[in-house]
Amino acid sequence: MTTEELEQLLAQQPIALLHRLARGRVQRHFRAGKRRLIEVLLRHSAENRAGFESDLVTLIGERQVRPALPSPQTPAARKPKSPSPARQSMHKSAEPESHELAITLSSWLEGLGVPPPKSFVADAWQEEAIAKLKEGDVVVSVPTGSGKTYVAVEAARRAIAENRTVIYTSPLKALSNTKYTEFSKIFGADQVGILTGDRRDNGQAPLLIMTTEILRNLLYDAGGGEIDVRLDTLGLVILDESQYIADPERGVVWEETIIFCPSQARMLLLSASIGNPHDIAEWITSIRPTPCHLVRHSVRTVPLRAGYLHPNGKLAPLFRTVGIPHGHPSHLHPEAKRLFAQYEDETLPSGRRR
Amino acid sequence: MPPSIHPVDLIIALRDKHLTPAIVFLTSRRACDEAMQAFDHSRILLPPPRQEAIAAVLEKVIAQYPSIAEHPLIPTVQRIGVAAHHAGHLPSWKIAVEELMRHGCLDAVFATTTLAAGVDFPARTVIITQSSIRKSRDFMDLTIGEVQQIAGRAGRRGKDLVGFAIVTPSPYIDLNVLTKGFTGHPEAINSQFLISYPMVLNLLKAHPLDQIQPILAKSFAQFQLNQRAETLERKLDELGDRMEPFGPRVCTDWITEWHTFDQVRRQKSHRTPVRRHEPPEVAARFHFLTPGRVVGFGRNRGIVLRQYRSKGQKSPMITALRVGGGITESPASTVTEVSDRVLDCVDAPVYPWCTPESVEELLRHLEELPGRLPELPILVPKDDEPIPDAIVQTLGDFACPTCPSRSACQRDYPLAAKLRQEQHRHVKSIQALRTSLWHRFQEKIDVLQQFGYLTATAHLTDNGEWARLIRIDHSLLITELLRADAFNGADPAMLAAVMSSIAHDDDRPGAFPRVSSGLASLLGQVRKLATSLSPHEDPPLLRADIAAVTERWIGDPGLTWIGLCKSTTMAEGDIYRLLARTLEFLSQLHTLKATHPGLADTASRAIALLRRGVLEELP
Repeated sequence: MTTEELEQLLAQQPIALLHRLARGRVQRHFRAGKRRLIEVLLRHSAENRAGFESDLVTLIGERQVRPALPSPQTPAARKPKSPSPARQSMHKSAEPESHELAITLSSWLEGLGVPPPKSFVADAWQEEAIAKLKEGDVVVSVPTGSGKTYVAVEAARRAIAENRTVIYTSPLKALSNTKYTEFSKIFGADQVGILTGDRRDNGQAPLLIMTTEILRNLLYDAGGGEIDVRLDTLGLVILDESQYIADPERGVVWEETIIFCPSQARMLLLSASIGNPHDIAEWITSIRPTPCHLVRHSVRTVPLRAGYLHPNGKLAPLFRTVGIPHGHPSHLHPEAKRLFAQYEDETLPSGRRR
Repeated sequence: MPPSIHPVDLIIALRDKHLTPAIVFLTSRRACDEAMQAFDHSRILLPPPRQEAIAAVLEKVIAQYPSIAEHPLIPTVQRIGVAAHHAGHLPSWKIAVEELMRHGCLDAVFATTTLAAGVDFPARTVIITQSSIRKSRDFMDLTIGEVQQIAGRAGRRGKDLVGFAIVTPSPYIDLNVLTKGFTGHPEAINSQFLISYPMVLNLLKAHPLDQIQPILAKSFAQFQLNQRAETLERKLDELGDRMEPFGPRVCTDWITEWHTFDQVRRQKSHRTPVRRHEPPEVAARFHFLTPGRVVGFGRNRGIVLRQYRSKGQKSPMITALRVGGGITESPASTVTEVSDRVLDCVDAPVYPWCTPESVEELLRHLEELPGRLPELPILVPKDDEPIPDAIVQTLGDFACPTCPSRSACQRDYPLAAKLRQEQHRHVKSIQALRTSLWHRFQEKIDVLQQFGYLTATAHLTDNGEWARLIRIDHSLLITELLRADAFNGADPAMLAAVMSSIAHDDDRPGAFPRVSSGLASLLGQVRKLATSLSPHEDPPLLRADIAAVTERWIGDPGLTWIGLCKSTTMAEGDIYRLLARTLEFLSQLHTLKATHPGLADTASRAIALLRRGVLEELP
């Protein structure tokens, strides 16, 4: 739907429907006239047009269904009976919450538990990332906890099998140490080495773990003519947590590493979900000999649910739906909404309400 | 209602709903420690088999890292199955907690949101208690990416069917930030290309100056700048299309022509009415008739209280306090003498234009003044000021008044001028976007040339050859210190102490051991140098109290880790990080073996002395 179409459609709707649409989207919408309301609605829905449109369509659908409902009174006959126009509009505006029934706590907690043990099967995106690494560099942007490490391990295993050196970098020394222990268990202690600012173990191993700064320094020295033997056989560079490229102080180190990385080595960038992974992939394609493939995946392996815990110990779902309603931050569960309003009322000093 | 849920209640609620194990993100280290203290007398013990499981895992970790055997949190961890994990702890303790979590022994871990990235273990549930995070001394709302990073720890692959992220309110929580974070798209990330001195030296070592610009062009920073430049270029094209109807007319550059014509036309009409008919002496004098000035009126004398121009009066006016206490309004032209004396006078917005006290004060001073006062020499400009060149153009010079396209020009000028101005602005910003990285690089080159690390042709000097090996923060300060031979004769303890004060960038206050006088004077020198370098490099904090911690650790080989921790209020984890960072700085100095053998030797001795006890046991 284009903006003009949407505007026309909105203009055809009765004002009550517009007010219902504005609930939770626009503040003080009841003060606005129809034209102003349409304008404000369009502006506020710019970020999430799809959600807005779907809400509009449901509301219109509901309106068309209602006259068909068996009602003993015609609308005209009902009118004089209703206590006041204000009351009536209140009734109407209370409806959008009820049309999509909010879930109960027990259904929110349902499914909690331990899955039956089953043999590990790699996800499609993991397979894709490993396969694409044969053709060129790969950028992976997936949610936290989706199994990026599996990709790193598998890619490293293949490179080592081809007698290539693998360098794995992480931003924090603590993470480097954790990975060192983890990889030593997987590959065997003699296959893994670590280089950090103040530690140097097994520096000739085929899989080297280091902080990104150390790799940058190695690349500096190679550029200055002091070739490190390890860089000659370098087959794969894995940059974990590469969203650090946006770190105000250290981000430049990631950029330098990518710019100066030897051209025979493949790069594997592992990153948490970021907004513009295609930019990174495009950039790497533009400066490196092989094209860079983007593997992007936004569905979590273990689904996430959001809840609200009141200070008195009462638990409620945070959103009206079981899962997280992406793009609908205002779809709060009525219970959570009520409890939070109560919390704010009681804890904030009077006159400072948000 | 309590402002936030009590930790014991929280654990009870989580256990009740089978939501354990959980990671509880709290605002500060202190909040984590207080949460742990809350369990001191609670009776929500773990069943004995689970307590034994925890003990077994801990035993294994302690065998590897004996330093945590006496950790004060161990009893609580074993009894209740909760632990704290934040930057104030030793890395070995954090490893122990992570190990316990991996074995599924714990019910909850209290961690700080600041270290969310370092918490590399998942749980079934994540508890979020805040919507903002401290970033360099300021609280900022969590970004969508950060909320998702934190919430992402919930749900262990293979161990949970679903993960839970639970918000529990505390003061300073904004639910909107969190709900937006849960449901939104993560933000786009932007390059932060910081050009440092070691980077310039190392690049110039490997590549001649004329190859640098193509290298900088390969950065993500330039990639993103180019994207912005391309957007602007598209806008510029659009502007070009909109400028189509405003092409050349009778004169090619009719916009400028009309602009000048318009200016001249306006100026002419303005010039006459603005002019006031006052003699040049009065005009020149008027600037000096400020409140408090002593002036003469013929035989009489007075003090100016205010000056003003009034529409009803032909000449500018002053209000003056006369001898005898009268306050009079008179034209400035009645002033015959402006003396070189100004008395203090407190202004007030209403009559008598200064405070009553200062009226009395002024009156007293006025009567006490000597008979003759030095007069203020005032230059009176010549009557006929030359008019600036641009205005000399008369309307006769322009063809516009009789031009056939005059009406069109007059009509289109405002829009065309606006569009052209926008075009110029875009062209300028595009140019800036394309070249800004290179300019920033050149600025650094200039500084390095000034300090003698680079030759005029941007090659490395002998000093530059070794300086490029120092690749840490504050590298310019460190290399300048080496060139000034500041560490000549310094013992390992002193060298390490100075390095740690340069390395430390935290301003958390605390109590610290005394600093020795030798170190204090050396730090004084370092501070002086750092201040003189501040236009080129931000000076480090250079805290003497921090230096003293390192000095004690190295200077007294008999000192135990517990002893060191007791001498300061600094958290164990912070001391560890300080010493580890000092090690890193020292090992950089150690790489200068070839050019500074003495210093490298001192550095390696300092490294050997530093690396003992806890620092030896840990990676």
